[in-house]
Amino acid sequence: MQENREKYTELANRIYDLDGEVYECVGSNLGRTFTGGRERTVRTLSMLMYTKPDGHLLRSELALISNMARTIKNKEEKSRLMEKYNQILKEIEELPDVFGKEDIVDAERVALNNLVLKREKISENDHLVICISRTQGSAGNDIGFELADDLKINYYDVEIFDQVMKRLEAEKGEVSDKENFTDFNKYGKKSPESLKTKLREFNRYHGLPKQDAVFFNMSDLICSLARTEDCIIMGRCADAILRNNHIPHVSLFISAPFGVRVQHIMAVRNMGLRQAARFLKKMDRQHRRYYEFYTGEKWGKPENYDLCINSANYGIKETIDVIKRLLKQ
Amino acid sequence: MKKILSFLTVFLMLFLTCPVSVWAAGESSGESGVPIWLCIPFAGLLLCIAVMPLVKGEWWEAHQPLVVALWIIVLVIPFAVLYGVGDTVETVLECTVNDYLTFIILLFGLFCVSGNITMEGDFAGSPRINVGLLAIGTLLSSCIGTTGASMLMVRPVIKMNSWRKRKSHIMIFFIFMVSNMGGCLTPIGDPPLLMGFMRGVPFFWSIHLFPVLLFNMVILLFIFYHLDKRNYRKDIAEGRKPDISKPGTEFRIDGLHNIIFLVMIVAAVILSGVLPGMPAFQDAAGNVRGIHIFGEVSLSFPSLIEIVLILLAAFLSFKTTSSEIRTRNHFTWGAIQEVAVLFIGIFITMQPALMLLKAVGPNLGLTEPFQMFWATGALSSFLDNTPTYLVFLTTAGTLGFTSGISTTLGTLPEKMLSAISCGAVFMGANTYIGNAPNFMVKSISDENGVNMPSFFGYMLWSVSILIPVFIIDMLVFFL
Repeated sequence: MQENREKYTELANRIYDLDGEVYECVGSNLGRTFTGGRERTVRTLSMLMYTKPDGHLLRSELALISNMARTIKNKEEKSRLMEKYNQILKEIEELPDVFGKEDIVDAERVALNNLVLKREKISENDHLVICISRTQGSAGNDIGFELADDLKINYYDVEIFDQVMKRLEAEKGEVSDKENFTDFNKYGKKSPESLKTKLREFNRYHGLPKQDAVFFNMSDLICSLARTEDCIIMGRCADAILRNNHIPHVSLFISAPFGVRVQHIMAVRNMGLRQAARFLKKMDRQHRRYYEFYTGEKWGKPENYDLCINSANYGIKETIDVIKRLLKQ
Repeated sequence: MKKILSFLTVFLMLFLTCPVSVWAAGESSGESGVPIWLCIPFAGLLLCIAVMPLVKGEWWEAHQPLVVALWIIVLVIPFAVLYGVGDTVETVLECTVNDYLTFIILLFGLFCVSGNITMEGDFAGSPRINVGLLAIGTLLSSCIGTTGASMLMVRPVIKMNSWRKRKSHIMIFFIFMVSNMGGCLTPIGDPPLLMGFMRGVPFFWSIHLFPVLLFNMVILLFIFYHLDKRNYRKDIAEGRKPDISKPGTEFRIDGLHNIIFLVMIVAAVILSGVLPGMPAFQDAAGNVRGIHIFGEVSLSFPSLIEIVLILLAAFLSFKTTSSEIRTRNHFTWGAIQEVAVLFIGIFITMQPALMLLKAVGPNLGLTEPFQMFWATGALSSFLDNTPTYLVFLTTAGTLGFTSGISTTLGTLPEKMLSAISCGAVFMGANTYIGNAPNFMVKSISDENGVNMPSFFGYMLWSVSILIPVFIIDMLVFFL
């Protein structure tokens, strides 16, 4: 099993390198076949090799490299790379036998193993990164903040991200406007912008909608933090971002019954019952839409998290204890 | 762009002051009684184009010329037995010299010149950027032709979307709109309309098709936007993101002087339509002068001028542009080579089908615009849309209408002419072989990391998206 997995990874790495070499030889600037970065590409290709039913997908991905390789003008280079390509192809063709004989006897096990492959194992050398998603009014922020304090690790929530993003943007220079970079207003009412502002934003964000550009920059920031320090990240789709970038982390979802949350909001924000209920519904809707827009996953779906907690059952202190106990194990 | 506009204005003025050539398209309709089995080589070749890349991809790529030659031979031998060697040679030469040669030279010229223009920039392909690109490309098609616009726009579109995984749908809609529909507004846009113009349809008449184009653009761009948004979100959800690390967007076009050569090619195309009507290019009998080749086949001087001008533009473009631009553009001969090989086979083997169409077309009993729209469109999906357009234009011209657009083929009601024009131009998008740029866009995309669908895969897209749009077109405009 392990041997096969290593073989897949080795082949996937060679495919990625071959793609890079072909692209370099062609000299084009229209983009290589695998543009998602080495780690992601190797993972994807390994998965394609592993899940035999999708073998045709692997072949069509490889065909794209050979299409490009055939256009190389230098004959020696072309022949050298095509030879490499053919060698890889040959080795892939030999995979199914190995695959069938030694590993998989039960289709259900294959499906289970696929799921296992997607999950990152946390090793001793990895940083402790905890991603907390929460519903408004479930005291998720308080839990996250106190947990970070207890564990003596950094805590990042939306306000802190705002500050960091602003600083990073300012460091890049050439940014004249002082507007809040992370102002996410995709689903709320938008204030009218002048044509000049629109054009400036169009140029500044490479033609992307501002919210998407913010999300991409924040993804970079979240990955960079998770790779360099122990931290707790509140919201921001951090769990999905880290999963996509294969960065080990623990993901939590904290919620509480609607009635309890309404009571909490009424107390904290000094709102009436109806106002608090309306506010919560609106916030839940925005959270759900934001999360689903950028991750394609259902917000709050238990399968997407390592642990889902009803904070109303435990209170802030005990919830933190439960999480700490999980982390120790 | 300004240069193109001023150039076009000058030529529009020229057209308005020139007498239009007068010759009928239906003279050769005497070839009735063409056996239907003579269409088998054409069907066989189409089947090969559709199936071979799927079942034996590498073999097909290496042996395309052989397969094409085989189907040509399979046609030529029985054709020679039926009609005699002389007629066969004449038929083959006629379509090769007068149709294929100008077709492939035009494609070659546009391919070369557009390959020497590269766009340097870091715009990131997103639904709204792609919608903008498709809209610009569609409108550009009517100014520089569907082939010109396709060749000019295909690389920037591929480059901007290189960060994405799901991008084949972008190229499919590119074929739908830029490579086909966009050409309906002027005779420069698509060859059938140029033929119409040569037969007396006013140059500006095609502008009347703007509401139809706009209607289709709105529907298709709406569908595209939502489809692209879904795929864009999936790409983001997988963690893909464009490189937007620089705070501003850089945008630069290198090789911009090649626009002059592009204009030169457009001028050559327009001249090929205008010159045959000038007395200087006609003999005493009113026939267009040219170099005699065999039997009744001759290469007309206007065509020769067109060829020379296009080749000159391509040559000058290569001479004046750094090869580094072509390298950055991933310029290869693969795409044009593939089109040249396949289309010589298509042009020759489709002759019996065209002869049959010429013989049968007028007797099909088509009298309504919607019937013309579908008949012209269905045949243009597989056959060359120019002769198809001419057959149905001629048929409509003989129906005895008394009011409408006066052409040399008769008077046609505006709705009827619109239906034939839209059918010929729009439905070329139904298959990869419906219009030359379709295949070029596919080939260039294939070479640059875009996983384009197979022949039938593409048809699934066209059947599920275009056909419903065409049905709406029929209900709104042609009933």
